[in-house]
Formats: sequence, structure tokens, C-alpha cells
Amino acid sequence: MTEELVKVTIDGVELAVAKGTTIIEAAKQAGVLVPHYCYHPSLPSPAVCRMCLVEVEKAPKLMPACVTTVAEGNVIHVNSQSAKRARESVLEFLLINHPLDCPICDQAGECELQDYVFQEGQAGTRYGDYAKRFNPVEDFGPDVLYVPNRCILCTRCVRFMDSVAEEPVLNVSERGDRAYIGIDPEQPLDHPWSGNVVDLCPVGSLISKDFLHKARAWDLDKTASICPGCTQGCNIMVDTRDEVVVRLRPRPNLDVNRHFICDEGRAGYRWMNRGDRVEAPVVRSGAGRAAVDWDAAVDALAGVVREVGAGSTVLLASGRASLESLGWTARLLADTRLTAAIRVPTGAEAPLAGISDLALRAERVPNLDGARLAGYSADFDGALRAAGSAALVVLLDVELSDDERSRLGGAGRVVAITTVDDDAAAGATITLPTTSMVEESGTYLNRDRRVQRYHQARSAPGMARPAWWIASEANAALRGDAAPATPAEAFAALGGWLPALAGLDYQALGFTGKVVDLASSGAAR
Amino acid sequence: MSGGHAATGGHDAVAYEPVFVGETRAKLEALFPKYPTKQACLLPALWMVQEARGWVPPQGIAEVAEVLELTPAYVRGVVTFYTMYHLHPVGRHFIQVCGTSPCHLCGSDDVIAAILKETGCGELGATSPDGRFTVAEVECLGACGFPTPVLIDDDFIDAVTPERVPGILARYP
Amino acid sequence: MGYPHPSHQKENVVLSKYFGDVEARSFAGWVKRGGYEALKKALGMTPEAIIEEVKASGLRGRGGAGFPTGLKWSFMPKPSGKPHYLVCNADESEPGTFKDREIMRWTPHQLIEGCAIAAYAIGAERCYIYIRGEFTEPWKIMSAAVQEAYAKGALGESAFGSGKRIDIVLHRGAGAYICGEETAMMNSIEGKRGNPRIKPPFPAQAGLFGMPTTINNVETLSAVPHILSRGGAWYKGLCLSNPKSTGTKLFSVCGHVMRPGNYEITMGFPMKDLIHDLAGGMRPGRRLKAVIPGGSSVPIMTAAEAEAALCDYEGIVEQGSMLGSAGFIVMDDSADLVYEIYRLAKFYAHESCAQCTQCREGTAWTTKILARILRGEGKTSDLDLLLDLSEQMTGRTICVLSDSCAAPIVSGIKKFREEFDAYLSRTKAPVAVVA
Repeated sequence: MTEELVKVTIDGVELAVAKGTTIIEAAKQAGVLVPHYCYHPSLPSPAVCRMCLVEVEKAPKLMPACVTTVAEGNVIHVNSQSAKRARESVLEFLLINHPLDCPICDQAGECELQDYVFQEGQAGTRYGDYAKRFNPVEDFGPDVLYVPNRCILCTRCVRFMDSVAEEPVLNVSERGDRAYIGIDPEQPLDHPWSGNVVDLCPVGSLISKDFLHKARAWDLDKTASICPGCTQGCNIMVDTRDEVVVRLRPRPNLDVNRHFICDEGRAGYRWMNRGDRVEAPVVRSGAGRAAVDWDAAVDALAGVVREVGAGSTVLLASGRASLESLGWTARLLADTRLTAAIRVPTGAEAPLAGISDLALRAERVPNLDGARLAGYSADFDGALRAAGSAALVVLLDVELSDDERSRLGGAGRVVAITTVDDDAAAGATITLPTTSMVEESGTYLNRDRRVQRYHQARSAPGMARPAWWIASEANAALRGDAAPATPAEAFAALGGWLPALAGLDYQALGFTGKVVDLASSGAAR
Repeated sequence: MSGGHAATGGHDAVAYEPVFVGETRAKLEALFPKYPTKQACLLPALWMVQEARGWVPPQGIAEVAEVLELTPAYVRGVVTFYTMYHLHPVGRHFIQVCGTSPCHLCGSDDVIAAILKETGCGELGATSPDGRFTVAEVECLGACGFPTPVLIDDDFIDAVTPERVPGILARYP
Repeated sequence: MGYPHPSHQKENVVLSKYFGDVEARSFAGWVKRGGYEALKKALGMTPEAIIEEVKASGLRGRGGAGFPTGLKWSFMPKPSGKPHYLVCNADESEPGTFKDREIMRWTPHQLIEGCAIAAYAIGAERCYIYIRGEFTEPWKIMSAAVQEAYAKGALGESAFGSGKRIDIVLHRGAGAYICGEETAMMNSIEGKRGNPRIKPPFPAQAGLFGMPTTINNVETLSAVPHILSRGGAWYKGLCLSNPKSTGTKLFSVCGHVMRPGNYEITMGFPMKDLIHDLAGGMRPGRRLKAVIPGGSSVPIMTAAEAEAALCDYEGIVEQGSMLGSAGFIVMDDSADLVYEIYRLAKFYAHESCAQCTQCREGTAWTTKILARILRGEGKTSDLDLLLDLSEQMTGRTICVLSDSCAAPIVSGIKKFREEFDAYLSRTKAPVAVVA
């Protein structure tokens, strides 16, 4: 299918765009950002903020770029004097009732009102000493507060609940300058995807209770990542402040999660800041345990694998482990009779009605399909049963209950590659500190066969190393294979024994991932 | 002359009686075939609630939402848009006086003052101490050639002058 | 006729012939006065022929925009199995305008007949008549008339045995001026907030319930039976000035005149005669100061402009304003222009739907500035500020409510600046207004 193209000129840039493209999207392609508030690419456009008015030559008045589609030969000026004057005026109107409480506003630093006023607003106000509109803060739901005084009535939140969540629990109430975002007292904003209204709000009007007064936007380091909450693989941004994860937010990926994440995923960061970590390799010798350096630890690991020979091994892994770690750890045990499984906690599915194929999935791990590709099953209990009689059990960052741990009792040896310093770690033959997904870079394979990268968001504690590094170093000691030095190398090498990944590298995955063909892999499903 | 509404004090204590039962239910359902969506019956349904209760209480909003398969929040957004729905109880008789420019030019201020004085309401928006009247100044009633028009409950009265006020109000016990 | 006053000899009564005649309200009474002949005639014609006749008449929308009615009808797509709708705009709320109310009060069947003809012409089986909530009396009269029209076979499954289905549903508003805007009205009928919609899509493509829709004003539709009966050429011939403005039109005249009322005159009639003769002129000892002719949403005319203008779409534009809905707000020299402009701004601030920034904030802000001037607390710079804000409120928003607020302000300051200056210089006693 060939798209019909129309030629347009936007602020002097000539380009051809698909017929039916809105001016605001065409301008993006021309490298021109048209300032806007109510427009959002994942929501219907009401054209109410009037911020995106642009000059279209031969049109009698300024046109809203968010709903006006380009026509052949259009000459469009985003930064003409009249368009800029109109925007300046909209900003002035928006500010007359705004409290200007930026110093205590969570949105400051990432506020579109602040940004555009800074960019092209007036320095002073002509509003004078009239009283500003005032309404008290309202509790909208489990995590959302509404600060009506900061609201610019862009209605993104209302449209999200209406058209995307398809549960219209927010409204515009009243008329004129008395209008505000309303809710029914009997029906709180508790939809499993409702937290998105906080991100959608261009100002500090809808704010997260969880994030309230935790950090200033400019103190945050932002890292592109993948939500570890379920098999959907929503793209996220991990926000850290001084090495502490303080917030997860959606990162746009039109093929996976558009601009949204669910509330469970959003809230699922606390474990990332756990303090009870293993920080050094520990090897048991006789009745004692001794901290060792990595050379000794790797040798010890290679040693136990060598001793097992072709014996039976069980690998119990976390579904949060990366493709790299799962792949290399299984590789290390490739010559043994290996039973590998990941633990897959489940929960209720929570779809986002207005977006096809987007849901909080029942399987609450990010890498179920990656694990399957790498030869792991989801039959954790079955693997655990086999563990009792195995010559070697490798725990890859799984936390076991007391009962489960007791079932390892008959195993010859237990190696715990772990983040957490728990009883399993303490009882293991070798305990190896590893990184959590926010402390390493890696990839996950989501339920739609998309391989996606996540990036290291905070530094690893102590001597913790990614599991792929640990396994590949031991593999090198065991077999003399080359060990990858970087996550990129670790990933690129996977194609050597996992055909579905052959030829792929980090560069090819980019920021939005690549869909792979599993049929060529022969992976156990 | 249309009848007024019963006083609506203290209803929080009283269990809410649904409006859409019996005849009213039938009246609403008779509207359904006239529109392709149930939602289109929202304004008529809200009118029915107000007719029955004298105002649109929160339970009325919930009930309308349920019968029309909408959310209460949605109904709230709509009901607050239209000024004729009362979201608070009003007096037995609700008086709307036009105060927009054409009527103002012809003395609506004096008519409003006379009505406030005669009803004992004191100020616009207030209900008289005897619960008999609530007076509101409203925007153009569309009878500018007959100043000053006054709407008492459903009775549209043209050409009200301060002199006529006592006689007119006497008709609303 | 200038109901409640007797008809004036200079009037040309067509639509208003039976105002005040209670008998004309009934089906039988209407038939006795020649009613429903036009509908019967129309049902024997093709829809295309009806549209041609209306086009030939030169009839233009009487609600304010003045768009040619026949042309509007011709935009409706050919029947395709999708429902088509006709909406009759009876949400008359424009300050100064009270003509549709009288049409519905006295001649409900005239409107029903017009609706039925139009519905047939545009292929709409159903017509919604949206009557503002405050119009309790027209509502009762129209309800009874529609019921009677069904009973007598003029409406229903087979209008007058023609086999054509024509339904009319009355829909009651609930207090929102903006619902008189056609797209807001469609939202309101759909059970939504009365927010105006962005165009395109235009109603003829995707209107009420997303279906092809035509919206016409009460007076426009009421003229249709007469055009069908007497011919488009006859209607087109009713013209005293510009050939683009044809027919008769009801002019609502209110404010400071001796005989406020609706006067039906031929297009092109001198405004001077309308105000000073038909409407009885000023009160003794008073002079004409200003006229807002289009309802309140248009520029204010000075006495000189008004007295020089001809009453049609073009004639009023030539004198610096617009015909609009032809609701004349007449002010004599006792009127306080600043206060009246403030009062209108307050009206628009009250009625703004809250969608567009300039309108939501601008109508309220300008009201505050005007109130401050009236309180004697204004600054000299306030007038420039008002003009600048008005400029940004004009041509910037989805509908024209914001423009409508600005029009009287801008024209008021330009044409009656001395009245503002009197407050600003504290030479005029302040008025106690809140906002």
C-alpha cells in the first residue's frame, strides 16, 4: 500500500507527509514543535486549549494544528508573529488564575505551562490585583490528588478515562471560569490504569500521592527501561534520585504500551531499593563461609559445575532475569542434565479497554517468553521437585519460602546467584551477589515476541555483577570460551545457540525493540 | 398554574425513594424509541427527577446514571452544565427573573428588588425563611419585548413591574 | 405583526399574520387559515424540486449566520440507509431576540409544517425541535400541536397518506445559551454537555448522533411553507434593497422604545422607520443613543449608523454591525453604555462553555475589568487592555461566543469612549457592582 503524500512547507522546511496528517504531527516531522496542551497523540483531540494555533497562508484565521490536516501546498508558519502573539495570549489567560506555586509544586521542572511561559510568555502580568479562583485540593483516588487551582482544563484526564480506560469517572463540571475537573464522591479514581492521568496532566494539577514532595524534577536521573511487572513489556522510564528509585513512568512505545503503564507496574519499584543485599561472593568451606574475590568465586562455580559432569542439575530462576543472564546461566550448565524453570507469579488480568492488546497480564514477570526461548519452563514446582535429588541446584535470584528451601536439602550443592541476602543465600555452597534489573543493562522478550532493552539506572551494590557475567566467566574457566565484557557482547553472543536471536544486536533493538521469529528457534514452549 | 414542590428539608435522614418506578419509569421508557441512544434521554430524565423531587439530589444522579447506563460522574458533568437543574433544595416556588441588558434597560433591577422584598428572601439565591420562595437572577429569558419576564416554577409571566409583584406572588402560597 | 401591538401598515405580515389569534394554534384553525396545504403540495414534489424552490426564494438562515437555506439543504448526502436528521433550533436565547417564542406560541403548526417539509426535502425521517428550557409556554403549545398533528395524520408513518414517514420529537433544553450554537445543540440532544464541536466535520457530513444533519432556526423553517405555497420567485421579490437579502423577516425590537415587539418587514426596510415609527420611537424627551441590532453578539451601532442603515444582511454590515438574529436592543440617552456592556460581558462569562482558553478566561477577565471601571477604580490603561484582550478573543476559538463578548466591548470603546472616560476620570459617580 502506498501512502498518498502531500507537500507542505513548515517554518521554511519543505517536506512531504502522508495525506491526512495533522499539522502538529507534520511539524514534528519537520523538526518543529508546536506548543500544545490539550493535544495528545494517544487521545482524541478536542482543540480546546487553542495553544497550537498556527498561521496557514491563505486561511482566514489561525488554525488549530492538532485537528487541521495538511493540504497540498500548505505554507504553514508556527513561529510567525501572529501565531506567537496568539500563544502568548493563551499563556496569559492560563496564568491569570494560576497560583504560580511552582516552588512547592511537584510538576515544577517538567511542567509544560512553566516551559512554554519560559519559552514565549510575557514577563509580567496585566491581570492586576483581582482575586484568583480558588478551590481546595481533592482526593481523587488511591494515588491521585487534584489541585484545581493549577488546572488549565485541557481535559486530557477526562478524555483518558472516557476514551482509553472507557470508564468515565472524571468530568468537566460547571461552565466558564468556574469549571473544574469533577468526580462522583461515590466512585473514586481507582481504575487499574488511572495513574496515567498524572503523567497526562501537563501541569501540576493531577499529582501522585506516592511521589508527593519526594523530589524536584531536576534532581532526577531518568533511565529508559522495561517494566518488570508482567509479560506486556511496557516501556518505562526509571527515575532515580541519589541512586534511589523514586518513580516509574511510561515511556512511549506505540507498538507496546503507547503512552501508558498500569498502576501496579507504576507502584512496583519498592523492591528495587531493597537494602538487604549480598555485596560480596561467599564460598562455604567446611563449616565456615568466607568472602572471596571474584576470581576465586568464579573458579569455585566452574569447579562445582565440572564436578557435576553430565549429572542432573536444576536451575531455578527469576522471571525478572534478563535474556543475557538466563541464556548464559543455562549455557554454563549445558552439558548437564538440566531442568530449568522460572517462577511465574500470577494475578488478575487488567486490560486497558481503549487500546488493543494492552493489559496488565496475568503472568507477572517480564521475561516469561525470553525464559522459554532460553530453554526454561514455567513449571517451577516440577523443577523444585527435581531439585531434591539433583547434583547441583543453581538459584538465579529466586526467593524461596522456608518450605521450598527445605526441599533443596537433598541436593548435592546449591549455588545462589542472588540479589538478596536471605536464608537460601546463607545456606548455599556458593553465594554470588548479582545485580537487579535496575542495576544492569539487559533485554527482555515480551509476550508479543518483542526483544526490548532496559538500561542500568543505578549502580550495583558492593561487588554485585550481572548474572550473565558470572555465568560467562565460569563458562570461560570451564570450557575456555571467550567471555563477553559488556552486556552488548553478552547479548550478541546469545544468537550463537539461540537461533531466534541470531544477527541481532543492541543497536538493532534501539529504544523500542524488535520482534523476533520464534519459529526458527525451536525453543521449548 | 403549575403546582410547587413540597419542602425538601431533612431528606438526608430519609431513605431515597427511586424516581423511575411506575408511571415515571414508563414515561422515560416511552422516550427510548425516540432516540438512537439511551444517553440522549439524559436531559429529559433529569427533568423528571427534578419534577418529582424539586431538585436533583445525588441519589437522583446515581439513579439516572443507572437507568441510562452512564457513570454518575458523567451525569454530574452534564447536570452542572445546565443552570436550570437545582443541585440543592430550593423553596416551594422557584422564581427566575431576567436581568440581562434588554430587561435591565427597562428596569429589571427594580423588579428584582421588589421580589426580594416581597418574598423576604433578602438576597439572590437565598430561600425565604418560610421556605416558600427562592429567587434567582437569570440570564436572558428570551422575552425582551415583554420586560421584565419572570418564571415562577413553570409559569412564564411577561411584563412584570414592581407594582405587579405582590399580586403575582400572592398566587403562590 | 408587532405583537402585542396591532399590525403596522408598513409591516409585511407573512409569518406573523396570526400572532395573537388563539384559534390559529389548533390544527383545525391552522387548516382554516390555509395551513398544511404547502406540506401536502411538498409531499407531491421530489425533494430536489423542494430544495430548488427554496434556493430560488433566496431564503437565508434567520438564526444569525444568514447562510442560504436551500444550499444548506443541498449539502445533505443522498439517502444511503443511514438516518438523516433535521434539528429545529428553538433555543432562542440571544439577548434582544424573542421572535421564535412568538412563532411557537401563536402558530405552532406553521413551524411543524415547515419542519415536515424540510425533513422530507433532506431525507430525514425524524426532526428534533430543541426548545430552550425556560420556554415553558411554547413547550406546552408545541407539545399539544405536535400531538394533534400526529392525530390528524400530518405527521407519523405516512404523512397525509403520502407513504413518507415524518416524525417530530420535542427536546427540552435546561438553561444554556450556548446550546443555540448548532453543534452544541447536537451534543445537548445527545445527552452531553452543550460544548460546541470542531468543524469539520460539518453537520451535513456527521452531525447529530454522527449522522447527516441539517439545523435550521424556527423562523427559517416557518418561512418554508409560504415559499412552497406562493413560490420561490414571490419570496425573492420581497426585497427593498440588496437582492441577496430576500423575503420578510421578524425584527424583535426591545429596550428603550415605546412599543417593543416583533415587527415583520420586508428585507431592506429602513432601520430608522423600524425604530422611530413601527416601534414607536423613544420615550418623550429622549434621544436615540445606540442600537445593538443582532441580538447582543454584534458591534454596537451609534444612532447615526442605525438611522442610516437598511435592515438586511448587507445593509447593517455597511453601517458597521451585523444583522445576526435581528434582535434590536435600543438604547436612548439615559442608558449607561458602560454598564450595559459590562452586563453583556457578564452574560457571556456566565454562558461560556469552558472549553477554549480565551473564552473561558477572557470573558471573565473582561467582566472584571468592566466592573472595576464602573466602581470608579479603573485605570486609563484598562481600555487598551480590553481592546487587546478582545482582539485575542476574536477568531481564536471553536465557536463565536468569545467573539460575541468582544464585539460590544470593542465597538463600545471605539464609539462611546467618552462614557468610559467619565468613569476613568472619576467625573461620573461609581456604580456598585461586584464582578
